[in-house]
Amino acid sequence: MTAAGPGRVYDALVVGVGTAGLVTALRLAKQGADVLVTAKGVGATHLTSGTVDVLGYTPERVVNPAAALPDFVRDHPEHPYARAGLQAVGDALDWIKLQLPDGALVGSLEANFLLPTAVGVPKPSALAPETMAPGDLRNGGRFTIVGLAGLKDFYPAYLADNLSRARLGQEDNGRVEARAVTISPPTGGVADVTPMGWARRFEDTEFRKTVIAELEPSLDGGAVGFPAVLGLDSARTVWQELNDALGVPVFEIPTLPPSVPGNRMARALRAALTRAGGRVVMGGRVIGVRGAGERLEEVVVDAAARPKTYRARDYVLATGGFASRGLEMDSYGMVREAAFDLPVTGMPPNAEARWADEYLAAHPAARVGIGVDDELRPLDSGHGVVYENVRVAGAALAGAEPWREKSGEGISLATGLRAAELILERRGG
Amino acid sequence: MVEAEVLVIGGGATGAGVARDAAMRGFSTVLVDRDDLAMGTTGRFHGLLHSGGRYAVKDPPSAAECMEENRALRRIAADAIEDTGGLFVSTPWDDPAYPDLFHSGCIEAGIPVEILSTAEILRREPRLNPRISGGFAVPDGAIDAWKTVWGCALSAKEYGATILNYHRITAVHRSDGVVTGATAVNAISGEEVAISAGFVVNASGVWAGDVANLAGCEGVTVLPGKGIMIAMSHRLVHTVVNRCKKPADGDILVPIRTVSVIGTTDTEADGPDDVAIPQDEIQLLLEEGEKLVPGFRRARALRVWAGSRPLVKDDKADDADTREMSRAFALIDHKERDGVEHFLTITGGKFTTFRKMAEVTVDRMCEHLGTARSCTTAEEALPDSGHHRFYWLGARLARREETLNDDQLICECELISRRRLESAMEQRHTQNLDDIRRTLRLAMGPCQGGFCIYRATGILHSVERLDYSAANSALLRFLQERWKGVRPILYGDQLRQARLDDWIFQGLLDVEHLT
Amino acid sequence: MSMIDDLIEPLEEDTIRGSLDHCIKCTICETYCPFANATPLFPGPKYVGPQAERFRDGGDHSPDMSLDYCSGCGICTQVCPQGVKIAEINSKARAKLWDERGIPLRNKILARPTLGGRLATPFAGPVNWALGNRLVRGLIERVAGVHRKAPLPRFAGRTFQSWARHHPSPLTDKTVVYFHGCSTNYFEPRLGEMAVAVLEHNGFRVIVPRQDCCGLPLQSNGSFDAARKYVRRLAGALAPYARRGHPIVATSTSCSLMLKREAREILDVTDPEVEEVGRQTYDICEFLLDLHDRGELEVDFDPLPMAVPYHAPCQQRGHGMGKPALDLFGLIPELRIEEIDVDCCGIAGTYGLKKEKYDISMSVGDRLFKTIEKLEPEVAACDSETCRWQITHGSGVVSVHPIELLYRSYGL
Repeated sequence: MTAAGPGRVYDALVVGVGTAGLVTALRLAKQGADVLVTAKGVGATHLTSGTVDVLGYTPERVVNPAAALPDFVRDHPEHPYARAGLQAVGDALDWIKLQLPDGALVGSLEANFLLPTAVGVPKPSALAPETMAPGDLRNGGRFTIVGLAGLKDFYPAYLADNLSRARLGQEDNGRVEARAVTISPPTGGVADVTPMGWARRFEDTEFRKTVIAELEPSLDGGAVGFPAVLGLDSARTVWQELNDALGVPVFEIPTLPPSVPGNRMARALRAALTRAGGRVVMGGRVIGVRGAGERLEEVVVDAAARPKTYRARDYVLATGGFASRGLEMDSYGMVREAAFDLPVTGMPPNAEARWADEYLAAHPAARVGIGVDDELRPLDSGHGVVYENVRVAGAALAGAEPWREKSGEGISLATGLRAAELILERRGG
Repeated sequence: MVEAEVLVIGGGATGAGVARDAAMRGFSTVLVDRDDLAMGTTGRFHGLLHSGGRYAVKDPPSAAECMEENRALRRIAADAIEDTGGLFVSTPWDDPAYPDLFHSGCIEAGIPVEILSTAEILRREPRLNPRISGGFAVPDGAIDAWKTVWGCALSAKEYGATILNYHRITAVHRSDGVVTGATAVNAISGEEVAISAGFVVNASGVWAGDVANLAGCEGVTVLPGKGIMIAMSHRLVHTVVNRCKKPADGDILVPIRTVSVIGTTDTEADGPDDVAIPQDEIQLLLEEGEKLVPGFRRARALRVWAGSRPLVKDDKADDADTREMSRAFALIDHKERDGVEHFLTITGGKFTTFRKMAEVTVDRMCEHLGTARSCTTAEEALPDSGHHRFYWLGARLARREETLNDDQLICECELISRRRLESAMEQRHTQNLDDIRRTLRLAMGPCQGGFCIYRATGILHSVERLDYSAANSALLRFLQERWKGVRPILYGDQLRQARLDDWIFQGLLDVEHLT
Repeated sequence: MSMIDDLIEPLEEDTIRGSLDHCIKCTICETYCPFANATPLFPGPKYVGPQAERFRDGGDHSPDMSLDYCSGCGICTQVCPQGVKIAEINSKARAKLWDERGIPLRNKILARPTLGGRLATPFAGPVNWALGNRLVRGLIERVAGVHRKAPLPRFAGRTFQSWARHHPSPLTDKTVVYFHGCSTNYFEPRLGEMAVAVLEHNGFRVIVPRQDCCGLPLQSNGSFDAARKYVRRLAGALAPYARRGHPIVATSTSCSLMLKREAREILDVTDPEVEEVGRQTYDICEFLLDLHDRGELEVDFDPLPMAVPYHAPCQQRGHGMGKPALDLFGLIPELRIEEIDVDCCGIAGTYGLKKEKYDISMSVGDRLFKTIEKLEPEVAACDSETCRWQITHGSGVVSVHPIELLYRSYGL
């Protein structure tokens, strides 16, 4: 006997394995949907700091994102938050906290942490890994920033110098005193150890003992900030043990990509997806699609020797923006969406108008992306839905400047989860 | 108060060459530049060490001079030179009558020229357009302008000269028709420095008219002929490739260090400081690049910049077409021209002939001073070139291989280690990361500092013991400077890179809120 | 409005080297590289790939021997989000390096499994004894540079080919060709027999043409010219069947990848014959899962009440087909599969056999071995032969091809 079936049709095909894609797929898989994720490489979650930034600047620094979002969305009606709806933002934060090993992410939409960046700027984030939260600067405090000789991506003296002068926007309780200490734990004679290399070393108990022994004499009772390399698979244990052994709050400060906390997040989401029965096929770009009327029928993915064709009832495009090659622009200034060839909106036709003269100014071209309706379905220039069974999530969406706003993770989570909910709702109805 | 026999104004190739030559002939010399050395036209060219082939048809004497100087620079500046060789190739767009003229021109000018078949050219350079039809090999090369100029400056220093970069001349002193020195202002500290000098050489390139005015010699008109160049992210060719035709826009592709540079264009600039990049010129270079290397538009552009040729106004040519004006240099003797003694202006010319220009200038100075001292700059090697070995592309990879595990790699694109960076910072003693960029090629690779500039700032903060605000402004200044060079070419791969870099600086580091 | 038909575009003509332009230095490849994370001798795929390549142009010699510590596992290319062919750039640079320096005799021997197979098969008993003897292995290590503890397979003493010649495959209207590879022929003929049985159970007539090495070990040891000769010869043997439209089914994921992709992308072999064969080549699990997706796979699986750890080999990722074995295992009642979330076992073909690389290889595989050991399974499953030997060597757990579990569950 043989099984019956006219070729496999997945419930949902998600293109892209960054935060938005993983969140969509995980939510669907957990509801029992048959989900396939296809991606040409691992996702941009690996580059994120591990914090969940929802809204940091409007451009004034945001203290309470929940309170600031309604005005923000009113002023930016094309923003992904406006498309997904504010309910989705709060829901996404509640949901993601439950998906990661308990307590891994802390914080809330009602109050931004102010966490030090690697140059010592207090950056607003709604959620943070528990390993970073004690670095919160909102109430000031004494901090010792620990550098590792042999880690080129962290400069504690420079960081502490800026931190001590950070503008916290608070009154008397906001003073920060920061100083730097550099330690030289054994690296086996290797001068250039990558963040990942440090993370693995920190997972070794003996190594941690040498760190603790070297650090103890120079502590002054203030909280201790390490570069974010405190373990990969067992970060919680490493962090906990350092807290206990040093007797002061210990925290991590994210630095350059590839980020260890970003890796932890990506791996945790991937593992959760696999456990929930989702499948990921990596290594192939989408090289074509076939649509019929308002529906997308098939997606063709590059693979060894011959392309693979996948079919699904619903599709989610979560391929990211320019940085992730979800969007591409050629030398003539033509912009295209790389996977489904969806219409792209927002590019100023005049080359001179795309990017501002000042590097740190707002750039019109940074807001380019896919325009969508309230169900996150792609729109053409006449505001018609291109495919009614395609949804777009994450950095591919038009209307945001995530790095200026400090909204990148919030957008990916809110739109990713919303895309899944919309698919589930329709399935249910 | 600085006292010297000779003051040289302008630290480009010509000025550094004059300072070296004068110092080697025993004059106490001071070299002054308003910016860092080689930041004007010299540091803004494509890096082509001419064989003279480019001028073989139009200007054979100039071509012969290039070849002679090409040989001289190979003797004295090997460490700055890559012996790439050069090709002149005919594409379907080029005048079929030109190759014959070219060949006889080369022979006339004494340029070693070899006729190559299409097959041989494509064997040597497989990425070239297969539709080319034959061409020639000539001894072009690639030369690193910063290395050469700093080599001259260090050589001058060894002979007792003083180098005052970041000093702007605000006045040239005259006494009874004789120039006696100048006033300079330290561009960083604002401090005023009086320089007394028995002789002043104005080698300030496109700014030569302004400096001559300070000495009261009016009417020296230098037209800045602006050209843009784009650096592509790797060596699309191994040999300098020229189109075999009358020189025009976008017809040279120079492999230099890790990149290849396409150049150039030619428009009259809005003054000597105009370095704006018009979009249509970028498109023009890409079109021409596509003719030489199919797929050029899809290759990655790293950075674009503009530089201006100093072209001394000449009645024979029309103002509008600066290329038609002579590229041969101009030595203006202000005693003859203006009755002002002990003052010479040397400008125009090309990088390849800077040493010769310096020699002629110092010869004339000796005449004025009534002393006969012979020039030795064509024989004595620059400080790092005593080994007479040409630089080769793999040098940094080989060096890194030897120190893989005992030094950190800070600039990953250009393979610059921490020790090397720290020692350059100590030597340069600067708060400006752009100075380090030119010294080491820091941040000149594909990521344009996306990863290394944060590191370099942290290192500079400790090496120079900067306070937070000096370190922050070093970082922010560098980012803004870099933006000027990448903003006009944000497409394809470099757009992706720029967006990742923004992610790092804004999303992860939040540099826009540095205080 | 959006009637888009046949929008399939040709892939952009990215040359392998040209793809270095896509690198934006995100360094994700280095975080995933099992070898860079295990030894400071290997500076990492980004370093030796898109980064160093900018310094390698022209005729100058290759100064970076550290490149030889790349195992060629290909994980870097697979994880790269930007489309840089990192492993391919590295393979080519490594071949140039060895071309300049001359390939050591050791590598030449390891790269020719058919030669060893042909010579040793008649004397399998004494050869296996010798290869299991510590003194002999010590001698081999000193003389030939093959590590004394490295997991060398045991010769079967017979070949799969000789079995196949005497095995009458039932004549049906569905035909497949079986590409068994060297390891099945000389070391694991039993696997070939099981593969044939599983295919025949699904109604296929299985043809086993005479065939030789695909050239992969030569390629990974830098002998590109020899590798090209082998892959062309193999394609020549298989092409007549490909032309008739018969699927070519393989049990070795790495050898099938050679036909599907690497001959073209790494060796620059663009012969139409190799292309034809590549297009018709399937990994056996990929093939069976395709059957299942079309509703054509026999699913009369008996329960297999056991827990099996499964390791998907690195080379399998290059196929871009996901992990088809997992879906097939899902069809077997009561089989509990534990997918091990470790990227590489460390062997990388012949890499871990080499004296100077054995320790690196074992340290790469360490987490995999420990995870498998902890589960105390009867067997572990893995698609690639050298990985199976390494897993058995490192964990002490017998390791089988997924096809063996299907075979058992079919009750064949």
